[in-house]
Order: sequence, then structure tokens, then C-alpha cells
Amino acid sequence: MTDSLLAKSIDKILEKTEKEILANLENSFSNTKQTLDDSIPKLEQEFDKIISDGKKEADKIEKQIIGSSDLEVRNKHLLTLEIAIDKVFTKALDQIANTTRSGDYSNLMNTLLDESTKILSTTKVIVSTNSKDKDLVQSLLSKYPGAELSSQTINCLGGVIVKSKDGAMKFDNTLDARIQRMKPLIRKEIATKFGVGN
Amino acid sequence: MTAKGGVQYSKIAEIKGPLVVVDDVENAAFDELVEIETKEGERRLGKVLEVGNGKAIVQVFEGTTGLSISGTSAKFVGKLMEMPVSKEVLGRVFDGLGRPKDGLPDPIADKFIDINGEPMNPEQREYPKDFIQTGVSVIDGMITLVRGQKLPIFSGSGMSHNILAAQIARQANVVGTKDDFAVVFAAIGVQYSEAEYFRRSLEESGALKRSVLFLNTADDPAIERIITPRVALTVAEYLAFDLGMHVLVILTDMTNYAEALREISAAREEVPGRKGYPGYLYTDLSTIYERAGKLNGRKGSVTQVPILSMPSDDITHPIPDLTGYITEGQVVLGRDLFRQGVYPPINILMSLSRLMKDGIGAGSTREDHSEISNQVYDAYSRAQEVRALAGIVGKAGLTDIDLKYMDVGDVFEKEFLTQATDENRTIEETLTILWKIVSKLPKNEITKIKDKYVDQYYQEN
Repeated sequence: MTDSLLAKSIDKILEKTEKEILANLENSFSNTKQTLDDSIPKLEQEFDKIISDGKKEADKIEKQIIGSSDLEVRNKHLLTLEIAIDKVFTKALDQIANTTRSGDYSNLMNTLLDESTKILSTTKVIVSTNSKDKDLVQSLLSKYPGAELSSQTINCLGGVIVKSKDGAMKFDNTLDARIQRMKPLIRKEIATKFGVGN
Repeated sequence: MTAKGGVQYSKIAEIKGPLVVVDDVENAAFDELVEIETKEGERRLGKVLEVGNGKAIVQVFEGTTGLSISGTSAKFVGKLMEMPVSKEVLGRVFDGLGRPKDGLPDPIADKFIDINGEPMNPEQREYPKDFIQTGVSVIDGMITLVRGQKLPIFSGSGMSHNILAAQIARQANVVGTKDDFAVVFAAIGVQYSEAEYFRRSLEESGALKRSVLFLNTADDPAIERIITPRVALTVAEYLAFDLGMHVLVILTDMTNYAEALREISAAREEVPGRKGYPGYLYTDLSTIYERAGKLNGRKGSVTQVPILSMPSDDITHPIPDLTGYITEGQVVLGRDLFRQGVYPPINILMSLSRLMKDGIGAGSTREDHSEISNQVYDAYSRAQEVRALAGIVGKAGLTDIDLKYMDVGDVFEKEFLTQATDENRTIEETLTILWKIVSKLPKNEITKIKDKYVDQYYQEN
């Protein structure tokens, strides 16, 4: 009698516990499902964020690579162009240095002397030139009262350096100085011939 | 440009600070370029400041250190200082006088332009109203920069203005148009490490391709700093008005420029003005700042972001004071925010972009931009008051709504203001964060935004 009552009680307890466990399981299952359902939009948001961050990063890296390689190419191009310009320059300077000192050249020297004395506002000057032009300049100086040719020659392609007799003013009218002043424009001309900067 | 050169004078009467006085000079002109040649054949550049009575006062850009009265000569070149310009200047690095500093040859010039620029005809000026996206939330969202505007950054010694400047230079862009955009960056009297940072930062981000850098470092002669902003602006004007690009000019640090001006003024024995700066500081600064703008019928624009560090963080100092009169607003960096580690430490309550209203809204940014910005400004201001109150009565003494405002202040500083130095936020992202801040408040506290925008953008918690 007592045994059967005990067995019944145990069965009841077992049944109750089973129900509770099942209910808990069901509850947990629905909670888990709810949590999963809730996390889907968050996950989607997170996914979108990762994708957009990745895209941004990729864009950044792409810009870096394209930017630096473009610049590298451009810089190499500039250096190559400069080498070519220098070659043209050197050749042109050689040609000027070897020009025959007569005709047009004599007129040019006359103009250079004229210009120099006008700028210094005096003809009482000391004129320096290179050894090649010495005789030519000497012959032209007769037109300028008070002008003297310096005994020392200078190293230049052509042209003259004119100094006032007190040494306070100097005007460099050598071909070298004139070319130097015009160099940016000459470089542009040469570059244009190479098809750059049209 | 002519082949004819200038006369070289060898009678140097006096060398005083950065100035050289040349005697027996005829036919020199104001602002004329001068080549000073030392006994050893070294050449330095200068310009004529004054002429008269057979004398010329020459300001030597590279300083007079090592010059002596005997053996030094001054050649008056017969032209003003010019900058050779062409599209090829993009991607190049120059020194403060516009000479290449990147080991490459001089750019093949398309034009030679007087660095003093030509004043813009006021009649021809076009009102600036197009948005520039810097990718920095606080600037785009609340102190919006527009094309053609001059918007200075007032900073203090040691603060992160240079990092901010480099970030703006890397990220700035015009949205909604395919027009070319370029950045001209002039570093005036910065440390070598800072100059290197700017160069590397632009190089590594790929932004150097569309930038031109002028670097005058702290060890370069101070007088060179007078020229640096002018050569930078000359290039900017060429890119903008000849090539039709939208150009952002960043000038840092204008305080160093003003100090160089003071040095020359002292050497010329001029009557000093406030703090020893010359009385014409305002006029001189305006010759730089007023070179920003847009012109009717021309495609490009020049936008300026001059940066200046306020000595002792004093906003009433003559440099920020006079700058503020000329420019169209200011971005102020706050020492407190900087100490808290906030980057960029922009104090929005002291900052203002006067042209913002015309560059935002439907068609340029978004229709709710102006209202959301005003609401956040208002809420952050209230948050500051609540923080001050909490400092006295403690948090326990605050009402629920006060606590919500405190929360707004925290979110504003941590999520909106704080940004990584390489984080480039779009205007949409910026506006989303602004709405997140406002959504910390109950709807009845939102009084500056139309209901339709609240319904559309308010984020329910």
C-alpha cells in the first residue's frame, strides 16, 4: 500500500518536473528564436557597415595606388624632358659660341653697347668682353666718348659687361646673362617642340 | 619677361636686420625684384620697399646673415616677383619662395604671374554658395565650408591644428559636380617634422596628385614667410580662374607670417601698433585673405582656410582679432577638448561659418541640415550649462531632462566630434549622427526642426 502510494507520488513529481522542463525548453527555444530574429536586422546593419567600410578602405587604397603611380610617371616624364631640354640648350650654346664674328654679330654687339650705356646713363664706362670679341668691341667703342676697353677679358659666349668708371654700377649684357634671363621662356619653346605644354 | 636685365649697384650704405640700404640708385621701382650678390658669389632675392633721394631700401627674403657692406652688390632686375605657373605645378613641392623642393626641375611655365595678384573686382564677385565636403563631421555638419569662402581656424600652441589641416587637405572634395578640385597647401614657418608630415600625409593618401605644397620651415629665414602665402595664392588663382578648378588654399601658420611682418616693421623703425605689430597689419592681412572668392562667368573658385595659433590662447590678440574682421566666420579649437583627448577639438559654441546657410539644404546637402544643426547647437549649449550646474549641485540634483541634455553633450563629443584622423565621413553619415544626438531628447524638446523632418529622421530609442 505504502509502496504504491510512494510510486504514485514519484510518478507525479516526475510528470510535473517533465512538464516544467519541457515548458522551460519551449520557453528557451522561443526566447532564442526571438533573440535570433531580433539580431537579424542588427547583423544586417553590421554586415552593411563592414561592406561599406571595406569599400571605403578599398577606394582609399585605390586612390593611393593610382595617385602615387600617376605622380611617379609624371615625374619620370619631367626628368626625361629636362634631359632633352638640356641637350638642346647645350647644342644651341655651342652653336652661338662658334658663330662667325661679323655682319649680324657686329650689329648685335653695337646694340648691346648702346643698350648698356643708355641704362647706365653714361658713356664713361669700362667695357669687358671675351677674347674673341675684343677687337670687334674696341672698334665699336670709338662711338662712345670716354669708354674704355678693359685689359682683362671675361669668360662668356659673347656680349659685354659695362661698368661705370667709379665701379658703383655694373650692367651685365653678355649673351650668357641674356639667355639666363630668358631661359624659362626658351625652355617652354623647346618643350612645345617636344609636344609638351601646347 | 625681357632679355634686358637690370643694373647692379655696389654701394651698400647700410645693412639693418632683414633690410639692405643701397646708395646712388636710379630708376628703381617699388616692389621691384632685387638680386643681392655676396662677395662669395651667393645670390639672394629681395624686393624694394622704399625708393627716394637716390636710395633704395631692399628687403632680403633669405635674410642678411653673412652679408657685409663691402663686396655685396644689389642688382635691380627690372620686374616684380613672379611665379611661373602651369598645370604641371600640381603634385609638386616648392619652398617658401616657389622654388622646387622635390628634386625635380622648374615647372615649364605657361605664364609668369606677379605674386601680389590683382584685386578682384567687387562687381565681378559671385556670392559663394556651393558646399565643400571636408569629411570632418563637425565642419561639414555645423560650420560648413563653401566654395569661395575664407574660414580661418583659430588654434593654440601645441594643439592638433596641423593634423586637422592635413586631414582637410587629404579629404576635401566638391560633391555633386565633376569639376576638378585642387588643394594648395602653404606651410609658413612650421617645424621640419611638420612639413614632412604634410608632405608624407598627402603623398601616402594619393592626394598629392591634386595638391601643390609650399613649405617654409622654421629654419628658413623669417622674411621668406612674407612671400609664401602670396606665391601659394598666385598658383591657386591660376588653377581656379585660368584652369577652372575649385581650389582650397590652406595657410598654416599665419601667426608666423604676422611675426615676420613685425620683424620688418621693427627694422624699418615704423611706429608700432598693438603688441608691436605694424599699424597696417589689418590692411596687409586683407591683401591675403581677400584673394579668396568666385568670379562671375568663371568656373573655378578659391577657398581659403588660414590657420593661426593664438598666442596664450588669446582670441583678442591682434592676429585673430583682425583676421576675424576680414574672414567669413572662424573655427575655434578648444584647449579643454584637446586636453580631454578629443580630436578634432573644435569648440562649436565659439565657431561660426557665416556663409553656411547658403551652402546647405535641399540641392546641396539635405533639406533638414540647417534645422538639425541649429537644434544640436542649442542642445550642446544647454548641455554645457547643465554640466556647469552639475559641478555645483551634483548629478543627483539634476532633473531627468537635464540628465538627457548631459547625455546629449557626451554623445556629441564622443560620437560626432571625435573622429579618426583618417576617417572621411560623408555628409549623409554626419547628418545621421546629428539625428542620433537629437534623438536622445524627447520629441517635445525638439523645437527647431519641422515636424515632417522629425517624423522622417527621429530615431526612436
